[in-house]
Amino acid sequence: MTTLPPLPMSRPKLTALAREKLPCSPRTTPRSELIKEKDDIDRYLEVKIKGLSKEEVAAYRNTYKKNICVDMLRDGYHKSFTELFTLMEKWEALREAARVRSVFWLQKPLEEQPDKLDHFYYYLTRAEVAERKKYFEDVYDNLYALACYFNNSEDKWVRNHFYKRCFEIAELIKIDGGKKEAEAHGHMGLLFEEEGKLLEAAEHYEAFHQLTQGRKWRDETGRSLNLLSCESLLRTYRLLSDKMLENKDYTQAIRILIKASEIAKEANDKKMEGEASYYLGLAHLAAGEHDTALEDLSTYSEISTELEDDLSLGRAYEAIARVLQSQGEMVEAITYLKKFVKLARNNFQKLDVVKASTMLGDIYNEK
Amino acid sequence: MNKIYQLAVPKGRRICCEVCEAPAERVCAACTVTYYCDVAHQQADWNSIHEKICQLLIPLRTTMPFYNSEEERQHGLQQLQQRQKHLIEFCYTVAQKYIFEGRYKDAVPAALHSLRFRMNVYGLSSVELVPAYLLLAEASIGLDQIVQAEEYLSQAQWAVLKSTDCSYATHSLLHRNLGLLFMVKENYEEARYHLANDIYFASCAYGTEDIRTSGGYFHLANIFFDLMKFDLADTLYTKVCEIWDKYLNNHYQVLSEARVQQIDLLGKRFETDTGLDEAQEAEAIRILTSILNIRESTCSGAPQKIVFVLRILVMLYYLMMNSSKAQEYATRVSNIAQEKQLSAQEQNLIEQLLHIINTEVILP
Repeated sequence: MTTLPPLPMSRPKLTALAREKLPCSPRTTPRSELIKEKDDIDRYLEVKIKGLSKEEVAAYRNTYKKNICVDMLRDGYHKSFTELFTLMEKWEALREAARVRSVFWLQKPLEEQPDKLDHFYYYLTRAEVAERKKYFEDVYDNLYALACYFNNSEDKWVRNHFYKRCFEIAELIKIDGGKKEAEAHGHMGLLFEEEGKLLEAAEHYEAFHQLTQGRKWRDETGRSLNLLSCESLLRTYRLLSDKMLENKDYTQAIRILIKASEIAKEANDKKMEGEASYYLGLAHLAAGEHDTALEDLSTYSEISTELEDDLSLGRAYEAIARVLQSQGEMVEAITYLKKFVKLARNNFQKLDVVKASTMLGDIYNEK
Repeated sequence: MNKIYQLAVPKGRRICCEVCEAPAERVCAACTVTYYCDVAHQQADWNSIHEKICQLLIPLRTTMPFYNSEEERQHGLQQLQQRQKHLIEFCYTVAQKYIFEGRYKDAVPAALHSLRFRMNVYGLSSVELVPAYLLLAEASIGLDQIVQAEEYLSQAQWAVLKSTDCSYATHSLLHRNLGLLFMVKENYEEARYHLANDIYFASCAYGTEDIRTSGGYFHLANIFFDLMKFDLADTLYTKVCEIWDKYLNNHYQVLSEARVQQIDLLGKRFETDTGLDEAQEAEAIRILTSILNIRESTCSGAPQKIVFVLRILVMLYYLMMNSSKAQEYATRVSNIAQEKQLSAQEQNLIEQLLHIINTEVILP
């Protein structure tokens, strides 16, 4: 989870009052510090003895949740209220479901988490103000901030909700040439990927990729958005093709992987390109097209040599050896495997050494 | 209309006016158990509620007949309770009806009766008294008696405050009336606070998108409108319109589906209705027409908004079987649509609506 700086909040009246009574907030100044001079005595009396105003009473009597809601409504932020209210209902429903499922794990009710409610209040109302003035970028920024705030394992569904909202808003932003829209597509892709809906994820990532093509946009951490989109897209394509290979749908899988390697080429990232051709080679191998598989894998090994990446080179040799083995060219397979063993030994990859030695042993055994 | 003399009344027995609880000088000749201080009060009570419940009061206000067994006594007591409960409900609905018709003066005695019987049955500090207090407060606001209204509302608030198990719906009603009171007093700060509470409680009770929540939004919008915050008021009015539009459309869908399913079985036409009670219908008309007026005075630049409200009104009147009104609004919609050259989608919606109404007019 990204840690956000504490909010520079100016709280509305009711919330500020309610906040004071929370157990986690700092205590008010003790009596001995308050009373020093006559003026102080007057102030002390004013603070302590005067009695409570109606609003103070309300703040004390009601839950923090209600105070937040009422504060929103009295200033006319009805959309924020509706959104928060539905979220809270869902929160309760999920909590109830969790309670039924297990006795031990209990998520705290939202009323006991004033910080979260504060964040809701702060960002939702600002988003609504911006929406009223049709500053959609501000709306997006605020909603995105909320999504970031809830980016932890427990509140993932809240984050997803705001990703969706961001996506809706981003479609309305036209001024920035589609940067926000691209980002929103990226988030939606991530969301679907996590849910396991790979096709939808691929769709969003494709849009993400298309929008970022030829642009020099960077995200907050300075990574290029285009590169990011390529990475995510390749990952999704690979997962998709894995699924297809499991179902023996080779042509589809190969088609997707070819698309992936084209994208990798366009991205101008050697490592990605190598990976793409590696997986393409494996798919060809699975489909039984040995010659094409060999071509792809040799590209991978070339790229790996260029990058001086011994690990990937080792993987390439291993895969080539397997192709050769299934083609029946044992001698060549043995040479590659020996190269693999050497590489693995140099890099202290014990597991790889074991793997290669087993394969070698198998081949000798058959002879 | 007999006169009575206080001095001739047996010692220790006070006879009070039914309306103002002053020493009484007259008695109703029909039931002989209801007393008044003067003709004006008797007249007011008669016009409001006494005419309808005159005879029903007799068993409540005479001493119980002598019963021979405990069983009979219990039975008698139970019957008495039942009669009182019936009267409570009856007086309440009568008062409510008067208020919706705007006859606040007539509503007061009826609501007072309801309150008095409630006190008898449930005790002085029960939540059951709250609805009656709220009616009285509403009538008082209507009669411009602010102090009186405030008193009733304080009573209601006190009752709610003391009770531990008060429903969200009651809370919501109380806060709405308080909000209205402060609006009349032009204390907008307080009014906003109470209306916000109203919306919150109504949302807890019915959900945020319910027609029973829309009233709170509407009053809040009025406040912002008075405070010259037009953009805020505008979004709130839109919200109210959307709620009603959704409700009426859903209701229409349900009705037409039921009709399609059952027309073969019974071969008869279904009555259309709004699924609302009288009070809600009155509220709907009041809210939507006032939004329409506001829209017409402010949004001349955005005809879509006016058309939207008009479309909802057409639907409402159509479902209320008031076809002349529906027709009237429908012609207004189509006129505006032709004048302002709306988008194809809007035109389409309007045509659908006209189609629905016209088939209904031809059929009967």
